[in-house]
Amino acid sequence: MKRSRTLTLALMSATALTLAACDNPEEVAVFETVEQCATQDGFNLQACEANMKQAQAEHVRVAPKYTSAADCEADFGAEQCETSPQRTTSGGSVFMPLMMGYMMGNMMSGRSGVATQPLYRSRDDAKNFRTGDNQKVSGKTGISKVSGQTARAPSTKTSTIKRGGFGSAARARASMGKFRSFGG
Amino acid sequence: MQRITIEERDDWKTQADELGFNFHTLYGAAYWDETACYRFGLQQIENDIEDPSEEIEKMCFEVVARALDSEEIMGKLAIPEGFWDYIRSSWMNQEKNLYGRLDLSYDGNGPAKLLEYNADTPTSLYESAAFQWVWLEQAMKREIIPPGCDQFNSIHETMVEAFRNFGIPGKLHLASCKGSDEDAGTVHYIEECAAQAGLETAFLFMEDIGIDAAGRLTDTDDLTISTLFKLYPWEWVMADEFGRALPKSGVTVIEPAWRAILSNKGLLPLLWEMFEGHPNLLPAYFADDPRAADLQGGYVRKPLLSREGGNVEMVRPGEETLMVEGPYGEEGFIVQALHPLPVFEGNHTVIGSWLVASKPCGMGIREDNSPITKDSSRFLPHVILD
Repeated sequence: MKRSRTLTLALMSATALTLAACDNPEEVAVFETVEQCATQDGFNLQACEANMKQAQAEHVRVAPKYTSAADCEADFGAEQCETSPQRTTSGGSVFMPLMMGYMMGNMMSGRSGVATQPLYRSRDDAKNFRTGDNQKVSGKTGISKVSGQTARAPSTKTSTIKRGGFGSAARARASMGKFRSFGG
Repeated sequence: MQRITIEERDDWKTQADELGFNFHTLYGAAYWDETACYRFGLQQIENDIEDPSEEIEKMCFEVVARALDSEEIMGKLAIPEGFWDYIRSSWMNQEKNLYGRLDLSYDGNGPAKLLEYNADTPTSLYESAAFQWVWLEQAMKREIIPPGCDQFNSIHETMVEAFRNFGIPGKLHLASCKGSDEDAGTVHYIEECAAQAGLETAFLFMEDIGIDAAGRLTDTDDLTISTLFKLYPWEWVMADEFGRALPKSGVTVIEPAWRAILSNKGLLPLLWEMFEGHPNLLPAYFADDPRAADLQGGYVRKPLLSREGGNVEMVRPGEETLMVEGPYGEEGFIVQALHPLPVFEGNHTVIGSWLVASKPCGMGIREDNSPITKDSSRFLPHVILD
């Protein structure tokens, strides 16, 4: 047979706009320190240290970034921010919240769908750990269940300084005639 | 290969509207046309379309490798010099390609001839992959066509599989330009394929993409974009302000930058130079090549970069020259030996052979009233029935 065996289109039809039902929850482990991690059943010090290092390395990449310390503290609380090693293109400082813990896969379940990453606590919801892209993880350390989306590597929140830098070439052509598609 | 007049499904417009296929009728005329279908034999599909498509793709890769090593060729293709290193590294890093459409002239006999390769921003994907498939299932069930018909169309399965193999970390952003239902529809279908492969996706318009202080691209929620599918031609990306920031933005782009060499009509003379005489190729030259004057029996002059037949000129011996207006051509032209599309009941028929992750996996047929396929073309379904 030269054709697809089955074909279902959920997103295209207006009646079923999400595929949320297909999102498999993941078991994750949340810790504030390597020591906490090492005392968790089935976890070992070596893996705990390696994952902490990995989360710290991710911290600079995925932490929300601000161009003023005040804006950062408004979201994360007084003295809860630090200076990022990054610089803006005009040489200004970049601020980000302190890393408050880290998330890794559950070593007991052996699943690998979890991206090791730093966790934060925002001022307006200080009891919960959150990922760099502001997904709620859990209020406690140890093992928790989160959505598959939360377990994945986070996108990075940043400040957009300009929009509209794409599309001028298309506009230039479109103004010269009728256009059905810019692809073709 | 036959054109067979058939009955339309009485409810296809309702179905199309429900499925979000909202460009089935354009400028008051049908674009999706199921008042007829094309019938092929399995051997025609496998020997004349599928295998040659795979072979053409391999030849194209040799052209890319050669072009990237030659400043002369990159210059002939009018690719801005500032992007040469970026394009080269997209190839060296083996950035994965998703999909493309080879446009072929084929009448059921003899070798199909490559007219051009839309390797960057092909549309008519949804019609080929999904709506045509649904038509086949329903047309058999409703006895519009005989039972046991098949179709060269595993595009959907192959797209989902390709996305599974892409290894995209985090979210996939997908974008098209404002003002085209057809482009948005195509991108939404591609988004659906990605979602079915388990990817997290978000759509936005090209015009709404932002940039942050570190030169990273951002979406409308101020989240950085790590992987971007763009239904927006590379030559326009390279001309736009943010395009110049792209090489340092850390964004992985689909289609990757090296596809710009294949979607350029300069591909055609480069293929002919490297594989002269290949049965699926037509003689082609850059317009300023003296050999261009030797083309016998008419030729087609095409801008290096153009869409929907814009600024294409067909010079035919003993007949008037045909010309499509458009805003293209400033980068230069190529000429290709004339190999007119076959005519079925007054319709000029072009075959679009789909490659997904470089694998031939389906076909879409368009008809136009003119020998040059334009934005007035219509899409017709096909069956395989021996």
